[in-house]
Amino acid sequence: MLTATLSCAPFALAFFTIPMRTRSFTTLCGLLFVASTAVFVGCKKDSDPEITTPGEVDLQISNVVGTKALALDGTAYATPAGETFTVATLKYYVSNLKFTKSDGTVYAAPNTYFLVDQAQPASQRLAITGVPAGTYTGVSFVVGVDAATTQADPLGLTGALNPANSMYWVWATGHISMKMEGTVTSASPARPITCHIGGYTDPNNAIVTATPALNGNVLRVNGSHTSTIAVQADVLKLFDGANHITLSTFSNGMMPGPEAMKVAKNYAAGMFTVTKTQVN
Amino acid sequence: MGLLGLAALLAAGGYGTARPAAAAAMPGAAQPANFPAMTYALAKNQPNRATFELGRALFYDPRLSSSGTVSCGSCHQQSRAFTDGRTLALGVAGRRSPRNAPTLQNLRWRTSFMADGGVHGLELQALAPLTSPAEMNTPLATALARLNADPAYRQRFAAIYGPGTIDTPQFLRALAQFTAALTSANSRYDRYVRHEAGGTLTAPERRGHALFVAKCGGCHAGELFSDNSFRNNGLDKSFPVDSGRAHITLLPADAGRFAVPSLRNVARTAPYMHDGRFATLPQVLAHYAHGVRPSRTLDPLLRPPGGRLGIALNETQQADLLAFLNTLTDNSFLTDKRLADPTLETKPATLRVEAAVTAVLFGR
Repeated sequence: MLTATLSCAPFALAFFTIPMRTRSFTTLCGLLFVASTAVFVGCKKDSDPEITTPGEVDLQISNVVGTKALALDGTAYATPAGETFTVATLKYYVSNLKFTKSDGTVYAAPNTYFLVDQAQPASQRLAITGVPAGTYTGVSFVVGVDAATTQADPLGLTGALNPANSMYWVWATGHISMKMEGTVTSASPARPITCHIGGYTDPNNAIVTATPALNGNVLRVNGSHTSTIAVQADVLKLFDGANHITLSTFSNGMMPGPEAMKVAKNYAAGMFTVTKTQVN
Repeated sequence: MGLLGLAALLAAGGYGTARPAAAAAMPGAAQPANFPAMTYALAKNQPNRATFELGRALFYDPRLSSSGTVSCGSCHQQSRAFTDGRTLALGVAGRRSPRNAPTLQNLRWRTSFMADGGVHGLELQALAPLTSPAEMNTPLATALARLNADPAYRQRFAAIYGPGTIDTPQFLRALAQFTAALTSANSRYDRYVRHEAGGTLTAPERRGHALFVAKCGGCHAGELFSDNSFRNNGLDKSFPVDSGRAHITLLPADAGRFAVPSLRNVARTAPYMHDGRFATLPQVLAHYAHGVRPSRTLDPLLRPPGGRLGIALNETQQADLLAFLNTLTDNSFLTDKRLADPTLETKPATLRVEAAVTAVLFGR
C-alpha cells in the first residue's frame, strides 16, 4: 500500500498546484476524475487508467465461408451466384499491423509477420506484443509481405517468412500473399481451383492493406491485460466485391497479373470483418 | 613478372592482385584486378574452408533431387564451364527444362539471376532449380528434412552455424559459398589485359578483340562480358513459348528480352541461346551477321541506321571474332580440382573410371 500511495501522490499534488483559471472546465473534470480515482480506488492495478506499460493485442482470426465456418474436409459451400466449391488449402500472410488512436496517431508494430493457415489452428491467433498503452480506434494490416521484406536478405527468411512454408515463388523472387486451393464442384466436370496471389511490382503490385472497421468499438491496451480483436475472414470475398469472379472460368493463376490484382482488391476491401473487441 | 613470381601468384590463387594468403586460398575469394567491385561482396557471406566445402558437397549431392539422381552438378559440369552441353536442361525422370542450362561463373558480379531476371539474389537462386518439377523437383521443406535426417550433414552445419535444426538461411548460404566461388578470371585474355606472363594474343585475336569491343561490347560489356541487361537479340519475330523478361514483368515491352550472358569460356558452353538453338559459335556469329529477325522489342543496337538488321560482319571478321572468343577460355577454372565433385576424390580408382565412362556415355 505504501507503493500505491507514493504513486498516487503526484496526481493529488498536480490537482492542487495547477492554477484553475488557466484550465478549461473539461480539463478540470478530467483531473477531478483522476484524483478521485486515485483516492477512492486506491490505484488498484486492474482498472487504473494510468498503467502505461505496453500490452499485448491478439488478433483472433476465424476463417469462414459466408455464414459458415470454414472446414477443409470436403464440405461444399455456395457462392451468391450459385456456384459450389470445396476448400483444401487456405493460407495467407498478415503483416505490418498498425493501430490507430482516436487522435490519429498510429502505432506500427515492428516485425509483425504472420502466416495464417486454416490447417493449423494455432496460426490463427496473431499475438502482437509491446503495443503502447492507449485506446485504439482502428486497426490495419497488409495482406501479404511487404516488397522490401520479400526481397531482403535470405537471412531474414525464417519463421513465417521461410520459403519452406510453400508460400514463396522461387522463379520470381517473392512471397505468395494468399493461397486458396480447392475444387469447383458445380462445374461439370468438377475442376480444381488454384488461386495463388502475389506480386509487388507495378502495375501488378498485389500487396494490399485491409482496414476492417472497429464499428465504434475501441481497443484498450496496457500491460495489465491482453486485448483481443476477433476478425472473421470470408473466403467468398476473394471472388466477390468490386470484381466478381466466376469460379468455373477462373484462370487458376499462379503468377502476378491483372487477375491476381482483381482478387487482391476484393480481399483488401471485403474479406476481413472485426466482430468483437474485448479485454481479457 | 618472372616465372617465379607467376608461380607464387598462382599458388596464392590470385588474379593479378596480392592478397593475404588465407583469404586468397579460398577459390574465388580474390578480387581480379581487371574486374569491377563485387556485387555479392565477401563480407555478405565471408568465405571459409568449412562452409565452402559444405556448399560444394551440397552442389554435387544428387540426394537433393526427388529421384536421387540429379544434382546441381548434373546440369552444371565444370569442364563445360558449368553447363551441360544439352539444348535444354535434363531434370528428374527425363524431364526437359524450357531453357538451356546457363553457365555458372563470376556470379558474385551478377545483379539478377535466370534468363528472365526473376530471381534477385545468389543465395535465393538455388531454390529455382531445386524446386522446379522439371529439374530437381524437391520442395524446400523436403530438402531440409533430408539434410536434417543425415547425421553427417547435421554435424557439418552445426560446426559452422551452431547446434540446432538446419534451416533455410543456413542451407542457402552454404550453397552460395560454393557458387560464389566460381570465379573465372584467368583466361589468356585476362593475362593479356593484366600484362601478365603468357598474356599474348595473336594478330587475328587482337583484331578480333578490337572488333568485339566495337561491335559486341554494347551488350557484352566490360570484363564480365555482359552489362547485366535484358535484350531481344532478334532470334524470333514473336515469343509464344517463352516471353523472357516479360514472363516476370508482364510488360509487352519486355517480350523476347533475355539476360545478356557472359561470354567467358564461351567456347565451352555450347549450345547457345536461352533455348540452346545454336550448336556452334560460327552459327551464333552468322545469326548476328544475317539472321536477326525483326520484332517490336528488337534491341536498338541491332537496328543500325540504314535498315539492315543485325551486325555487319564479313567472313574474315567472323573468323577473327571467333579467334578472340577462344582466348576467353580459362583452363585453370575448368580444371580447378577444388571446384570438382568431392565424391570423386574419395572413390576408389575403379569407381572414378566408372564415373568417367558414365559421363562420356551419357553426358551429352
